[in-house]
Amino acid sequence: MSRRALGWLITGAGIAAGAAVWEIAGRSVGAAFVAPLSDTIAAITPAIWRALGSSLVLFATGFSLSVAIGVPLGLLLARVRLLRVALESYISVLNATPMAALIPFILSMMGFDFAPKVLVVFLFAVFPILYNTVEGARSIRPELIEVARSFRSSERALWRDVLLPYVLPFALTGIRQAIGRALVGMVASEFFLSASGIGMVLQSASQSIDTAAVFAAILLVTLLGVFLMELGLWVERRYAAWRNIQ
Amino acid sequence: MTVTTRPLEAAPGASLARLAGSTPFVKLAAGVVLLLLWEFGVRAWAPAYVARPSGVIAVLPSVVASRDFLAAAAATLGSVIEGLAIALVFGIGVGIAMGRSFVVDRLIRYYVFGLFAMPMVAILPLITLWFGYTDAARLATTVFAAFFSLALNAADGARAVPTEYLEVGRSFRAQRLRVLCDIVLPASMPYLLAGIRLAAARALIGAVVAEFFISVNGLGFFILFNSRSFRHNQAIVAVIVLAGCGAGFEALVNWVTHRYFPWYRRDEKR
Repeated sequence: MSRRALGWLITGAGIAAGAAVWEIAGRSVGAAFVAPLSDTIAAITPAIWRALGSSLVLFATGFSLSVAIGVPLGLLLARVRLLRVALESYISVLNATPMAALIPFILSMMGFDFAPKVLVVFLFAVFPILYNTVEGARSIRPELIEVARSFRSSERALWRDVLLPYVLPFALTGIRQAIGRALVGMVASEFFLSASGIGMVLQSASQSIDTAAVFAAILLVTLLGVFLMELGLWVERRYAAWRNIQ
Repeated sequence: MTVTTRPLEAAPGASLARLAGSTPFVKLAAGVVLLLLWEFGVRAWAPAYVARPSGVIAVLPSVVASRDFLAAAAATLGSVIEGLAIALVFGIGVGIAMGRSFVVDRLIRYYVFGLFAMPMVAILPLITLWFGYTDAARLATTVFAAFFSLALNAADGARAVPTEYLEVGRSFRAQRLRVLCDIVLPASMPYLLAGIRLAAARALIGAVVAEFFISVNGLGFFILFNSRSFRHNQAIVAVIVLAGCGAGFEALVNWVTHRYFPWYRRDEKR
C-alpha cells in the first residue's frame, strides 16, 4: 500500500475514533455536559443554518471592509517611506493589542446596531493585514526600486512591476491571518453587542441548558472556520507561490 | 537604528534637517500627531464621557495606584501566564508527536486544525457549563486559546529538523528519547517561539473575552465595569496595560529569536 493511501486510512480511522469517543463521552458523562455526536447532528436545525447565514453576512461585511482599507493603506505605506517609518511601530502595537478590550467602548458609544458589530470585526481583522503588508514593504530591497528608477520606469510601471508583485504575497498572509481573527470578532460582537446570528444561538441555548444546540452551533462555526482558513491558504499558495508556503 | 543620511543634504548647519529625518523623531512626531487628533476629535464630536488623552493622563496615577486595578491586572496576567505554561507543556508534547510520527500526525491532524480554526469565543458557553462562572473557566479559556497554535507550530518545527542531525544521532546510537530532547526540541525552538508569540496573543484575547462573559475580576472586567459607568478614561488605562503586555511580549519573543536564532528567517505560517 502506498504511503499516501495509508495516510488517508489512518486519517479516516482517526476521525472515526474521535467521533466514537465523542459519542461515548456524551452518553456516559451526561447529555447536559457533553452532547453526543448523534444528538449534536440532530440539533442542526434550519434555524441554526439561518443564524450561521446572518453571522456570515456580518463576517463578510467587516472582513471585506478591512481588506478594502487595509491593503491600499498598506501599499501606500510601502511606497511613502516617511509615512511607513512614522506609523509602523503604532501598527505593530495595535496588532498585538487584544481588540476585544475595545468592545465595551464601542457598545457605549455606538449602541446596539449592525454598524458597531461590523466595526468590531473590522478592528479584529484590519491590523494583521496592515502589519503584514508593512512588513513586506519594509523588506523590499531598495535596489529593486533603484534599478527600476535607473531604467526611467514611470511611477505606474513601478507599482505594476515591482511594488504590487512584491508586497501582495505579504498582504495575502495578513489576509489569511485576519480570517481567524475576524471570526473571533464576529462571535464576540454577537455575544457582547446586540445578540444575533450564531452568537445568539450559542447564548440562548446555553442559558436553557440545551447542550446539543450549543454543540451544533460550535460544530457549524468550526466547520466554517476550517473552510475559510483552507480557502485563505489556497489563495495564498496560488498567488504567492514564490514565497514557499508549505 | 536606520538613520537616513543623505550626503547631499548634510551641508553645514543642516543638523536640524537631519534631526527631522531621523527615525525616532519621525515616530515621536507621528505619535504626538495621533494623540492630538484623538484629543481634538473627541472634543469636537464625541460626548464628554468618551476617553481622551488629557483625561487619561489625569486619571492615570490614581488608577495605577489603586488596589482594584492592581488586583485586576494580576488576575488577568497571572491567568494568561498560567494558561500559557500549561498549554506549552501539552502543546510541545502533542506537536512533537505529530511532527515526528506519521501515524500520530494523520490520526489527529484534522481535529487539531479544526480546533485551531474554531473561534475560541464560541466555546465560552460550554466552558461556563463545565467550570461554572469561576477563575477556572478563564484559565481553561486561555489554555484552549493557546494550545492549538503551539501544537501546530511545534509540529512544523519537529517536521523541519534537518535529516542530517537525526542521522548523526542514529550513528551514535542515541536513544529515541535523547534524540527528541537533545536534537528535535532544540532544533525546533525558533518555530516554538513563533508559536509562543501567537499563542500569547490569543491567550490575552481569550482572557479578556472570558472576563466579559463570566464577570470574574480582571482587566477585561475592569474595562467592562468602568465603561458601563461611563468612566472611559479609567477603562482606557486597562486597555493600555493590555496593549503594553501584548506588544511587550511580542518584542521579547522577537528579541530572543534574533539574539539566539539569528539564522532563522521564516514566513509566518499561522
